[in-house]
Amino acid sequence: MSEALDEAWFSALGAPLGDAERAEIAGYLLGIGLPGSLPVRAASSWQEAAELCRQPAGEWWQAEEAERSRLERSARLNPADTAWLQVTERLHGAAAIAATRAGCADAALIRVAAGAATYAAYQQRLAQAAAAPPDHPFLRKYALFCGGHWPLGVYEERFAIF
Amino acid sequence: MSAYPTVKTVDEFKQQPAEYQDAVRKIVRSHALNELYGAQVFDEPAIHLAPTPYAKWLSCRVAMEEYHHHVRFKELADQIGVRPQEMDTKNKRPLNIFEVPLESWEQFCVIKMLGDLAEILQVEDLLHCSFVPLRNIARTTMPEEKFHAQFGLDFCVDLVETDDGREKVQRAVNGFYPEAPKFFGASGSKNNAIYRKYGIKLRSNEDMRADYMARARSTVEPLGIKLPELKIAA
Repeated sequence: MSEALDEAWFSALGAPLGDAERAEIAGYLLGIGLPGSLPVRAASSWQEAAELCRQPAGEWWQAEEAERSRLERSARLNPADTAWLQVTERLHGAAAIAATRAGCADAALIRVAAGAATYAAYQQRLAQAAAAPPDHPFLRKYALFCGGHWPLGVYEERFAIF
Repeated sequence: MSAYPTVKTVDEFKQQPAEYQDAVRKIVRSHALNELYGAQVFDEPAIHLAPTPYAKWLSCRVAMEEYHHHVRFKELADQIGVRPQEMDTKNKRPLNIFEVPLESWEQFCVIKMLGDLAEILQVEDLLHCSFVPLRNIARTTMPEEKFHAQFGLDFCVDLVETDDGREKVQRAVNGFYPEAPKFFGASGSKNNAIYRKYGIKLRSNEDMRADYMARARSTVEPLGIKLPELKIAA
C-alpha cells in the first residue's frame, strides 16, 4: 500500500494524453463492458472537471459497481486501516496542492478529487486482494491516476479525463 | 475556563484520580464509537445513494475523514486504557440516531446538516478540555466536522430549490431531528457534572441541547424547512 504514497497524483491534470494512456483508457472501458472506442473528452481546468462530474453518469458508475460487488465477494478491506488512511490523507494533500497551483481554492472540489482518487485506490487494492489479472480495468484506471490524471468517467457517450 | 489543572500527557493522565480517568475514558470511547458508527451506517452507504460522481466522490472523502476521526479517538482510547471489547461496535449498542436505516440521498444530506451540527457542539465543548491530548484531537477534527455540516447544508440548499426536493428534505428532517437532541444525554446527568468538575467539558447537557436546537432551527428555517415539535424540554 505504501507505493501509493510515492505516485505522481494529480501532477498531469490537463496535460495531453499519450498513446499509452489512450490505450489504457480503451482497455479500461472494454474491461467494464463499455465500448473501447468511446471518444475521449479532455478537461482542461478544475472548473470544467467539476462541471462534468456534476452530471449523472449512471451507466458507467453501475458498470464499475457491478465489478466492485463481484470482487468484494472474494475480498474485504478495512476502511479504518491506519496505513490506508495515511494513503487517503496523501491523496487529499496531493489534490490540494494541484488545485492551489492552478488557482483553485474550492475546498469541496478538492475533496471531490481526493475522493475520486481514494475510490480508485480502493478499487485497485480490492482487485489486488482478489488476485485480479494485471489488465483488470480497476488497475488500468489506477494507472491513469498514478500518471497524474483524474479519470472523470463516461458522460454523454464520451470518456472524460482531466 | 476550567479550574482543574491541565493534564498534558498520557503519563500525567495516569496520575490523575480514578474518577477523572474514568470520565475521560467514557468521552473518548463515545467519540470513537460514534465516529465509527457514523462512517459505517451513513457516510459509506451514502456513496451509493449520491446522484452524481461529484457527490459520490465527495461522500467518499467525507467517509474517510470520519473513519480517520474514529482512528484518532481510538488511538487515544488505547493509550488511556479503554478495553478493546468496549471499542467494538458488536458489543456496544449505538445511539438511537445511528439505528435509522439510510434510504435516500436527501436523508443523508439532512444527517450531515443536522447530525454533524450536533457533533460540532460536542467537539466544541472539548476545545478547552483539561486533558490536552483530547483537546488536540478536538481541535484537529473540528475543521472537518464543520465542513461536513456545511456539505449537508449546501446540498440541502440545492435540493429545496424544487417542491419535490423540499418535501423530501422536510420528510428527512421530520425523521431525523426528533432523535437528535438525545445525542446530548440526560438532563441533570451525574456524568456531565463530573466532566465539568474536572474541566473535561464546559457545558451541561441541557445547555448544549438548547443551543443545538436553536442552531438547528436557524440552519433550516432559511431553507423553508420547519423542525418538528419535540416533547423534550429544551
